[in-house]
Formats: sequence, C-alpha cells, structure tokens
Amino acid sequence: MFKKIIEKSIVILAFLVIWETASQLEWVNPMFIPPFSKVVTTIWELFSKGQLISHISISLYRALSGFFAAIIIAVPLGFLLGGWFRKIEIVLEPVLDLFSQFNPFVLFHIILLFLGLSEATKITIITWTCIWPIMFSTIGGMKSIHPIIFKAGRCFGLNRLNIFLKIILPATAPSIFTGIRLSLGYSMFMLIAAEMMGCESGLGWLILNSQENYQIHKVFAVSVVIAIIGVLLDSVMQWIERRVIRAENIEVLNAEA
Amino acid sequence: MPIRKFDYKYYAFRFSGIFAFLILWEVLPRLNVLDNQFIPSLSQTLMALVSIAEGGELFTHIMVSIWRALAGLIFASAISVPLGVVLSRYYPNSLNLFNPFFRLLAQVNPFSLMPVFILFFGIGEDAKIAIVTWVCLWPILFHTTTGVKTVDPILVKTALSTGASEVSILRKVIFPASLHGIFEGIRIAVEMSFFMLIAAEMIGATAGLGALLHNSAMNTQIPRMYAASATIVLLGVLLNKILIYLQKRMFFWKEEQDIFGEPQQKEEVKPFTQESYIIIAVVLAAILFVGILQVQKAAYEENNPRNKHKQHTNMIHAD
Repeated sequence: MFKKIIEKSIVILAFLVIWETASQLEWVNPMFIPPFSKVVTTIWELFSKGQLISHISISLYRALSGFFAAIIIAVPLGFLLGGWFRKIEIVLEPVLDLFSQFNPFVLFHIILLFLGLSEATKITIITWTCIWPIMFSTIGGMKSIHPIIFKAGRCFGLNRLNIFLKIILPATAPSIFTGIRLSLGYSMFMLIAAEMMGCESGLGWLILNSQENYQIHKVFAVSVVIAIIGVLLDSVMQWIERRVIRAENIEVLNAEA
Repeated sequence: MPIRKFDYKYYAFRFSGIFAFLILWEVLPRLNVLDNQFIPSLSQTLMALVSIAEGGELFTHIMVSIWRALAGLIFASAISVPLGVVLSRYYPNSLNLFNPFFRLLAQVNPFSLMPVFILFFGIGEDAKIAIVTWVCLWPILFHTTTGVKTVDPILVKTALSTGASEVSILRKVIFPASLHGIFEGIRIAVEMSFFMLIAAEMIGATAGLGALLHNSAMNTQIPRMYAASATIVLLGVLLNKILIYLQKRMFFWKEEQDIFGEPQQKEEVKPFTQESYIIIAVVLAAILFVGILQVQKAAYEENNPRNKHKQHTNMIHAD
C-alpha cells in the first residue's frame, strides 16, 4: 500500500523540491515565483488573520448555490426532454445546441446590465455554466435505457410514477452523477472568473487584489488554496457516488477522468 | 449516389425553434415587453454589426482572435502530442508516475494563473497565447495518451511480424489508430482555447473580439455589445460545426449520435484523401498569415488612432 502512495506522490514531491530550490537559489526571480515555503507561510498567515475563511465561505456559497440551482433546473428538464416527446426533441435540439454555445463571459456582460454587480449576477453565471453538462448527461442517460426495460415495466403494470422511480431513476443515476461531477468542476472554474470581474470579496477578488498590489506570494497562496478546495470537493463527490450509486464502473470512470 | 429530394418540411420543422427565438428577439424588445435599453432588437443588433464591419474593423477583430487561438493551439499540440506519444508508448511506467502530477497541474484554475502569466509575459500578445497554450496542453495530452494506450496490441504485433521498422510502426500503425483520441482532445482544446481567449482579451487587449465586447460594455454601447456577443457565439458555433464535419470525414467509419441519441447519418460520407489534408494545412497557414497582418495593423492603429474612426463611434452613440 505504501508503494502506491509513493508512486502517486513522488513526482509531485520532486516538483515541490525543485520549485523550492530554484526559487531560493534565485535560478528564477523570487519576485515572480516565490519559494514554496513562503507560499505555505502566506497561506497560514491569511488563514490565521481570519480573512481567508470569510473569503472561502463567500466563494463556496456562490459556487454551491449556482451548482445546486443548476441541478434543480437541469435534471427535471433533462428528464422531460429525454424521453417523452419526439417532436419537441426535433425542434429543441438546434436551439439547445445554440444556447449551450453561449459563452458565459458573453452572458456576463448582459446579465450585468440586468442585475448589476450583485451576488445574483455571479450565481446566475455559475448556474448557466453548470446547467449544460448536467442536462446533456441526463438526456444521454435517458436515451441509453433499453426500451425492453420499459416494456417489462409495463408488463408488470407499473403506473407512470413507479416507472419513473423504479426504472428511470436507477438507470440514469450514473450518467447524472457524471454530469454533476463535471459541473462541480465547472462551477469552481467560473466562480474564480466571475469573481475576478467586478467583485469585492471572495477568492477570485483576492487574487486580483494581490496581483494589483504586486503581492505575488499571495497570488500563489490563493491559487494553491483554490486547487485544494477543488480536489476536496471532487473527493466528496466521488465518496457520494460510491455510496449512493453502485460502484461497478468507478475504476473505469476515474481512469478516464 | 442516389439523388435525394431536399426534405423542406423536415428542415423547416427542425429549425422552427431557432426561427421562433429570432422572431421573439425582434418582436419583444420592440413591444417593450423586454426593456429596449437592455435588450436591443435583432435589427438594431444587426445594424450595429454592420457598422462595425464597415472599414474592416470586424474582420480585424475576428482574425486577431482566431490567430491567437490557433497559435496557442498549435503550440500546445506541438508540445503535448509528441510528449503523449513518447510517454505512453516508450515509457509507460514514467507515464504512470507523472499522471498524478499532470492531473494536479490540469486542475489548477487557469484564471488564477492569469496574473502569473501576465507578470512573465507582460500585457501583450505573448501572455494571451501563453494562457491559451497552457489551457490547451492538458486535454490534448490526456486524450493523446489514452488514444495511444488503447491501440490494439495485435495491430502492433502484426506490424512487427512483417519486419517493420520503429518509425514505420509509428507512422502507419500507431498514429492512425490513436488519431481519433488525438482529434477528440483537439476538439475539446479548441473549445477551451476560445473560451479562455475571450476571457484573456477582456482583461487587457485593444483588439480582438473579447476586447470589443469589453470595450462596448464599458462605454455602454449596448447594441454594439450585443453585436460583438452574437459574433462570438456564431464563431463558436461555426468552429464546432467545422470540427464535427472534419471528424465525420476523417473517421468515416464511426456512427454519429446527436445529443438525443438518434443516429445522424443520413447519407454516405466521403472519406478523407491526401488532398484534403493539404487543403487544411493551406487554410491554417492562410489564417496565420492574415492574422499576423491584422495583429500588426491593430497595433499600428492603437498608436495612431484615426479621427475618422472617432466620429464613427459618436454616430452610433447618438442613436
């Protein structure tokens, strides 16, 4: 078991060592790339002086609100569009294709006009970005259910509600979860972008602020914190996936993630 | 090939959703159901678009953006395709060691790296191309390694048994077999590159579509902003369609599925030939060449603004 841990982390550790030495020995300009130890101490400073926690909580609040709003909107919409109405599908497909291409940055300026510089703007942008992966993977999941299973359900005399609960939900759950994991990553991604454009708190603003004050070590520190948060959130999702969904194909999914 | 009657009814029905959207866009702001200040009608947006296109300004912006994205994409491919092939074929153990490291690097939010890149390269072309390159590196690398790893070993063994040299095996067996994966990676990279490019241009550029968008938003020229947005979206859609078309032709043996899972293939697809590759190379070279000219033109204009240009902007504002 130790071998596995060593295998996974040796290159990262080597990289950290190289980073530290290169910066300390001034092979690269330490103004531009501070040594790793300094980055760690900066994280600790930000943490203990209390700023970091409030920024993290605001950022997480925005990202997770957008994320959950996207789930609530996209999953039912995906179920609706996924199966019942063939004619509506034909009409809606080009429209959905078009809408999913709308760049969130483009929409950001438009939403800015309507909602101004408030929390709602950022949450809306994150929601928009997250809706598309979830919706498309829900639809894909619905489409991949073999029609024979529906026929078997009808043979058993299941009514609509039971067909939904006992057939559709378990069959589409893996695809939906894949979409949800993907959109969690997107939500963190867009969060930083949205916070960098017109904001006064949160991790993205902290990066921008530190850059403007030429405190590069803070920029690195916050980047590391963001990466850690991203990895943590993804691990939580993986854990949920393992418990809630039968984990036969987890290895395959992770190998290609 | 059988001659098929053009199925008007099907296509009319299929695109009726988009027509409805366009009609709503035209009608609702005029009736003031949606505030006309915030959402100009389709015709107003088109007029603003035409006014940008006059004098070649729109062409400059588009070409500059495409050039930057293409340059970043080429750099990223040049680094990660060879790296991926070499690592996964000749040093698979090293690949397993390096994989967590690469995944960690890919996870780092590119927006948080933007200040670092700007520090290193300054606010010029280099920074934007560098960011685009970084963002494109990882999808291409991952998909290349996956593609090379899943080459059927029987194919390689067959080639070996015919006494082929290593270079031949690379060229004739591995490269075509992994091409699907590489192309998938390039497709994802193109999407991401365009995405990041708009973001990078909004931060510090004076030419390019993102800069146009940002500029119009800052000066509250709303129809112009919508015109820029529509251009960006249309360009993205066009790129996507082109890539899908290329993919269909290059991998003509695969079946296409739309998002609703129905098989798309209604007609035969002509496979790729040597000439098609040459055409693609020529088109890319032309884009690079024209793009560089436009970039220089934009830089020149930034230093010597034309007065005629300023009057032009005032005219739109008075509307």
